[in-house]
Amino acid sequence: MLELKDVHTYYGNIHALKGISLKVEKGEIVTLIGSNGAGKTTTLRTIQGLLRPRSGSIVLEGEELTKIPPHLITERGVSQSPEGRLIFPRMTVLENLEMGAFSRKDKDGIKRDLERVCIVFPRLKERVKQKGGTLSGGEQQMLAMGRALMANPRVLLLDEPSMGLAPILVEQIFQIIQELNKQGTTILLVEQNARMALSIAHRGYVLQTGHIRLQGDAKRLHDDEEVRKTYLGEE
Amino acid sequence: MQKLRTALIIGATSAAITFLFGGWSAVVVGVIAGAVIGMTYGQRSALRTPNGIGREAVVPGLVGGLVVVLGGVIHQFIVRPATGQSPFFTHTLRFFGSNAQIDSITVLIISSVVAILAAAAAAFLIGSAQGLPPDKRNRQIAFALGGFLLLFPFYEQITNLNWMGALITVQIYILLALGLNIVVGYAGLLDLGYAAFFAIGAYTTALLNSPRIEIQWNFWLVIWIAAAVAAIAGIVLGAPTLPLRGDYLAIVTLGFGEIVPVIFRNLIAVTIREPFTRFCFVGCDPAVEVRIACLYSCEGPLNLTGGEAGVNPIGRPVIPFTPDSLFGSSSYLPWYFLVLALIVFSIFLISRLRDSRIGRAWMAMREDELAASQMGIDPVKTKLLAFSMGATFSGFAGAFYGAYIAAIFPGVFDFSVSVIILCMVILGGLGNMIGVIIGGILIMGTDRLFLPQIATLLKKFMQVSVLPNVSNEALRDFLSTSVDPIQMRLALFGIVLVIMMLVRPEGLVPSAERRAELHAGEEPRGAPVTADEPTT
Ligand SMILES: Nc1ncnc2c1ncn2[C@@H]1O[C@H](COP(=O)(O)OP(=O)(O)OP(=O)(O)O)[C@@H](O)[C@H]1O
Ligand SMILES: [Mg+2]
Repeated sequence: MLELKDVHTYYGNIHALKGISLKVEKGEIVTLIGSNGAGKTTTLRTIQGLLRPRSGSIVLEGEELTKIPPHLITERGVSQSPEGRLIFPRMTVLENLEMGAFSRKDKDGIKRDLERVCIVFPRLKERVKQKGGTLSGGEQQMLAMGRALMANPRVLLLDEPSMGLAPILVEQIFQIIQELNKQGTTILLVEQNARMALSIAHRGYVLQTGHIRLQGDAKRLHDDEEVRKTYLGEE
Repeated sequence: MQKLRTALIIGATSAAITFLFGGWSAVVVGVIAGAVIGMTYGQRSALRTPNGIGREAVVPGLVGGLVVVLGGVIHQFIVRPATGQSPFFTHTLRFFGSNAQIDSITVLIISSVVAILAAAAAAFLIGSAQGLPPDKRNRQIAFALGGFLLLFPFYEQITNLNWMGALITVQIYILLALGLNIVVGYAGLLDLGYAAFFAIGAYTTALLNSPRIEIQWNFWLVIWIAAAVAAIAGIVLGAPTLPLRGDYLAIVTLGFGEIVPVIFRNLIAVTIREPFTRFCFVGCDPAVEVRIACLYSCEGPLNLTGGEAGVNPIGRPVIPFTPDSLFGSSSYLPWYFLVLALIVFSIFLISRLRDSRIGRAWMAMREDELAASQMGIDPVKTKLLAFSMGATFSGFAGAFYGAYIAAIFPGVFDFSVSVIILCMVILGGLGNMIGVIIGGILIMGTDRLFLPQIATLLKKFMQVSVLPNVSNEALRDFLSTSVDPIQMRLALFGIVLVIMMLVRPEGLVPSAERRAELHAGEEPRGAPVTADEPTT
């Protein structure tokens, strides 16, 4: 469904992605793990068009994304819950969610998705009138995910959804991700918490300083010697 | 007494105006003070029924009115003698053509009684509105305000208050502030060169409707051209600033604001070359063609903008089937209502804009640019639109300003104008139109109405009561030339602003978001969120 082929992205002179190729099939959870600064966030930003790759191609269901202006890529069905959440602090929860549906015009669909988000995240439903900036960290994470869902994406990009959350909440968030996937959302999940990510994903990629180092079935990666040592912190 | 403290404070603040102007001003000030008192007491009231709340506000209203009237009495019997004017004189009433004389003591008695009663009535009306459900309350307040705005100019004309000239300028500045509020308040782009668009609008009108270079197009056409030119200028300024944020953006706009008046100051030797003179729209007016041809054949280069001396005169608006003098130099009423209508229309338009897709895009951009582009917002389009919408209002205001003053020169559009408009927006409450309007009235009213009056009185006071008693010649010289609040206006202004930012950084009437943000620590987390900005 989504395929990156030999993507190179630069920040000025810094060569951040050195030829990334990866694939996400319809209905999958694919996880992208790797240490700090490996280029995970950069990969997601490149997919969304916020960064332009210098070479390589990104294809979503047969359509080349690198040629489309970024604000239209959201419309094509790629939405992201960004690293650091980036919710709109002075807007209410409801307004934040509505912003997620900014590029949609189907009023009925938006309403349906709003109800769906309220079911998936009952915490948000209780706080629709509260300002985004006054939510707790975990609630903000839910808001960021809910907002991304409001775009009714074909591919949902999640950048470290467990960052800074208490263990119980982390578990809850991962359950929600799995639940969303069961409901049919295709997900590309970036995580520091490799163990959890690999336990819910179908397939995974290990990123190291801008290269894909390992890839394959999530279970296999989970059992891989190198992955265990480097990313799961086991001896 | 404790309960009346607020009424006394509001009354005393308002009494500063009656203290300065005396006489008939008491009625106007009384109504305003009464309304503010009604609003304050009504919101605090523990009662539920509108009538009960209204009745509760009557006594504070009466007290406020009394204090206001006291200011007028002091004006008449202390300020006037101290500035060498007798407290006993005759007022002239103007009934549209015919005049009537009335002596000052009668005026004082009548205006005082009316002022006190009017204050109480206003307090009741606005106070009782606070007990109504929101939509009814807003309607009642809107009716009261509309009635006041409609009646006030006639009262002002009849009683010869002489405020109108200044008030129309205040109105035009409010229009400017509403436009800047789009750019700074909604889109969060700090624009320090906003006066540039004001200048562009004014000069466009001036050049297209003035005998100066013999192009005199119809005012009603020219204002749209002026707005369009300003809008384009907004895009031209906006384009290079797109990648800039915050302080960098502010500096670039500052530069733009400085450049534009300089350009107008220096367009005094323009040579129009051949291709331009041949250029003509399809079906263009032969008369215009002739004039442009004349431009070309005029001896030597053309002095387009008149340099420092500016453009004078500028054509005024004319409405078919009415006398040409309708918008003449001293006919304030038509101007007042014209600009008032314009403000009301702008408020309507801007609130529609705010609640539309583009309005939400502006606010999202203001909050977080990266997140906004992830939502599928086009940052380029959104920013340029904010700049050009703001510029359009500014250009429009400039067009009216030029035609109203009937003469413009580059000095009117310098940096301090941009700063004053920005202050109007910030003082009143960034992002809230009602706040911006109140901020505008306070700042520009002070600048154009009260400071000049203070200056006049102070000057007379010096001449009559102080200077004759000063024997030291150097000191006398100093006092007679340097005590001038007009010269100190920017300093006074700065002091007020500093105090304001320390005491109430969110502005007088802040939008709910800003209040929550700036006082976040004082509210419990997850407290019920206050109502949003009232729609106007
Ligand atoms: N705006 C930028 N300008 C220059 N270099 C950048 C920029 N953003 C990221 N980088 C660099 O690109 C590399 C990849 O960064 P990226 O944010 O993609 O890492 P990441 O894998 O998401 O790391 P983390 O797990 O810490 O979030 C890093 O070396 C980083 O320093
Ligand atoms: Mg990252």
